[in-house]
Amino acid sequence: MRGWTRPVAALGLATALLAVAACGRDGGDAQSEGPGTAVGAGPATGEINIWAMGAEGEKLSALIDGFTKDNPDATVKVTPIPWDGAHDKIATAIAAGETPDVALIGTTWMGEFARTGGLDPTPENLIKPADFYGGAWDTTVVDGTSYGVPWYVETRLFYVNSDVARKAGVDSPPSSWEDLKAAVKAMKEKGGADWGVSLQPGKTGSWQSVMPFVWQNGGAVQKEDGSFAFDSPETVAALEYYKSFFTEKLSPADLPQGALEPDFVKGKIGAFISGPWHIGILKDQGFEGKYEVWPMPTKVTGTSFVGGGDLAVFKDAKNREGAWKFVSYLSRPDVQATWFQTVGDLPSVKSAWEDPALKADPMLAAFGTQLNDAKSPPTIATWDQIAAGFDDLMEQLVKTDMTPAEMATSAQEQATSIGTGG
Amino acid sequence: MDARDKPRSRDRVAKLVLHVVLGLGLLAMIGPFLWMLLSSFKSEQEIREVPPTWWPRDFGFGNFAELFDRLDFPTYFTNSVVVAASVTAGNLVLCSAAGYALAKMRFPGRRSLLGLVLGTVMVPGMVTFVPLFVLVSKMGLTNTFAGLVLPFLVGAFGVFFMRQFILSIPDELIESARIDGAGEVRIFVRIILPLCRPALATLGILTFLGSWNNFLWPLVVATTEDKYTLPVALALYSVGQNETDYGLLLAGSVVVVVPVLVVFILLQRHFVRGIATTGLK
Amino acid sequence: MTARPQDAALRRGRRASRLRRAVTGWGFVSPFTLLFAVFMAGPVLISLAMSFTDMRSADVRDPLGVNFVGFDQYAKVFGDPLFVKAAGNTGMFVLIGVPLTMAAGLAVALGLNSGLTKFKTLFRVGYYLPVVTSIVAVSVVWRFLLQPDTGLVNSLLGLVGVDGPNWLDDPGLSLPSLIVMAAWRNLGFQMVIFLAGLQAIPANLYEAARLDGASRWQQFRYVTLPMLRPTMLFVAVITTISYLQFFEESYVMTQGGPLNSTLSVSFHVFKQFGFGNYGYASAMSYILFVAIVALSLLWFRLLKRKDQ
Repeated sequence: MRGWTRPVAALGLATALLAVAACGRDGGDAQSEGPGTAVGAGPATGEINIWAMGAEGEKLSALIDGFTKDNPDATVKVTPIPWDGAHDKIATAIAAGETPDVALIGTTWMGEFARTGGLDPTPENLIKPADFYGGAWDTTVVDGTSYGVPWYVETRLFYVNSDVARKAGVDSPPSSWEDLKAAVKAMKEKGGADWGVSLQPGKTGSWQSVMPFVWQNGGAVQKEDGSFAFDSPETVAALEYYKSFFTEKLSPADLPQGALEPDFVKGKIGAFISGPWHIGILKDQGFEGKYEVWPMPTKVTGTSFVGGGDLAVFKDAKNREGAWKFVSYLSRPDVQATWFQTVGDLPSVKSAWEDPALKADPMLAAFGTQLNDAKSPPTIATWDQIAAGFDDLMEQLVKTDMTPAEMATSAQEQATSIGTGG
Repeated sequence: MDARDKPRSRDRVAKLVLHVVLGLGLLAMIGPFLWMLLSSFKSEQEIREVPPTWWPRDFGFGNFAELFDRLDFPTYFTNSVVVAASVTAGNLVLCSAAGYALAKMRFPGRRSLLGLVLGTVMVPGMVTFVPLFVLVSKMGLTNTFAGLVLPFLVGAFGVFFMRQFILSIPDELIESARIDGAGEVRIFVRIILPLCRPALATLGILTFLGSWNNFLWPLVVATTEDKYTLPVALALYSVGQNETDYGLLLAGSVVVVVPVLVVFILLQRHFVRGIATTGLK
Repeated sequence: MTARPQDAALRRGRRASRLRRAVTGWGFVSPFTLLFAVFMAGPVLISLAMSFTDMRSADVRDPLGVNFVGFDQYAKVFGDPLFVKAAGNTGMFVLIGVPLTMAAGLAVALGLNSGLTKFKTLFRVGYYLPVVTSIVAVSVVWRFLLQPDTGLVNSLLGLVGVDGPNWLDDPGLSLPSLIVMAAWRNLGFQMVIFLAGLQAIPANLYEAARLDGASRWQQFRYVTLPMLRPTMLFVAVITTISYLQFFEESYVMTQGGPLNSTLSVSFHVFKQFGFGNYGYASAMSYILFVAIVALSLLWFRLLKRKDQ
């Protein structure tokens, strides 16, 4: 055992030296950067490297031909990466300075990656913010500067089993909080469902179902001065409304994983909240045409959650000009419409929705309408952590006898102690 | 009935009981694997059914067709094989050499080295991930086979394992060989390695499995698709932002597990008594 | 005492042989040591240093620009109620899981090794299958087993008139359920190592014991167990190290819930790394490291052979 002490001491010394070499940060909070330097006119040249996840990565090559026709001296190389682990891959790439030129970035990751200083601010001359849905554009803005461009969006609506709704006597989407509650009750009592609605009972991502109600009630995550507003009366009222679905036995609190779709199809669950991807899932289950979608109810507003994917160019990009030109190409309304037809992603550019393919489908049109009133959480670097804490508290709110007021206070304490990570 | 018959019938009952107990246990063990195998032939809808079904209602190869159609299988498979084989070979050779030295040789610094190795085995894996990646990238090894293989070419686990095993080899065997004038390398190759066959087979299986299923490291080190290994490619095509393609995932999981099983079946016959004992008098 | 020429020669000879031993010894370990130093020791040092700073993900492009905060992160960990909960869960998992899995793995290995079994390959492969089966398939089947209404476990309990609970959603039962699942999943791994160890026990020892009239149980106690000691030590340490870091079962089955009853320290560390709290997560990892070292030393004390 004694042979250990010398090498351990040496290690300790080396570690201490490394740690003390931490010289400390210069300056206070990160200064906000202005918009990016303008990108030159003319076609793109050189090689453009882009990382994209999932289906977007797989099918992006379909759009490249159109780009290379207009930019013959440019080559675009797409590296698809899995969603599972993408966050880590991008984070480590930034850490090592080995990034591509462009990457698809989840909307809730923008705050964190922008704060590393690894993203290039959006140049003003190439992209017009007004072209995009407001909620989507906001996901790219960190500390007043935009660091990317929304590529595709998703928003949340109520999926409702038409059979159950008709039997319950609900023939049109409820427009207010009271109407929604009444409709859900009717679906349980008269529509033959075990549960009128299945709301997320806390756990990962439940904030995406809860925050819309806070927003509908005129609440927000942050106040004007940047401090958190989790304990505001608007938030507490929204939490009360959400919890009431569980206390009145209108929504299950412990639905086993994987049971949602089968139970919805069988009519045991009247409704649930989700995004456009469930269209495909329900089609696979043979349920096409037997359900409908309802927009969010209105209290002060009828706000839903908006997510999706943003395109960002890296500071360490080798071909900055080419990268931004490619991003601008992907934001053209006609390219966005083609992209929808290729992959099914909802366009983030408003005028792309004029495309007949999107206008023709009433279900998609419903998503499009909701996009006009959809918000995203603030682009603070610590949002992931705050959201996780919020989800934990939601679970307690739904499953224990914690009161909405208590939960709101705890959420406020938690968020404040985590801070905004500036 | 004479004295020889009684032990035989007792043996037969014991045999039966043992087989039954182990057999029931076996059913419990292979259940999920069977489900995975059977479900890879089902439609997406049937896979998601609750309660889960066993035999597919409509037996189809659709998932496998999609798997081989969408994925550039030969590339990913080759990458996985090359990486896993290199890592396994490296571990078997280098860790047994180091394990032998740490178990049976006396040299200065031996105890410190052993302590360091053991210490590293005990460091939680997650914490070194980012520093390791930055290190590897600064060495210019991103997107190379060296970058995929070198950090795992030896393992503290392997050294610890071989050392423990070699410790149980009697010293007399080695001492007598030394007295006979054999050099250390000769002793290692001619005496130690053959005696270590069960341990080498075990280490081989475990190392191969770990390397074959490694996901996060190849994901982060590879920056172009042609360097992806199978687990990365499988996640790429089956796990989306908001939903998972279970049919593809299960079909892929079945295909990915086949080489591991092959390696296992090939190596497990080396858990054979006899080799370990015939060297002794 | 006058130095004799033989003494000097003896000393020279001893020094020469010590030098030779050092060269051979280091020759055998140097490839390993070099790779180890670069790819293992290096990152460990760096991450350890990170735990003494307030590094966050925003600092990755300028890692030396963080502040040295001494043991602040470590203090923060101990004051974190989630960490305390996770530590309790992890402790339970190890305390019950390690003996359970070891006993099961050893029992199966003994059964397969006893020379009484046919279909050896089938059994060995079958018991090892859970180790290689994709966690997705494992989780689907286990979730089905544990489902409150239609699950197999509760159906069987229903046959004897017991109303089974919602195993995975009950904060008191979720962790035990995961422990059983982990034991099921990992006993194949242990079985493989125990089999290797059992093969190394010389047959003549058993013969000698049998000639002395020892029963099977006595053979087990006086031949098998003592000879298996290094293997058991190895399995105990490796399993403890692995279980102290348990993560996958909780991540896939219950996501740390319900109400954080299956949150493990590793899962908490994983989340913190995900949030970008690199300094904090590193400190928590090294606290876990201390626990791992302590428990391993305990095993060494219990199972080490006197001649090591």
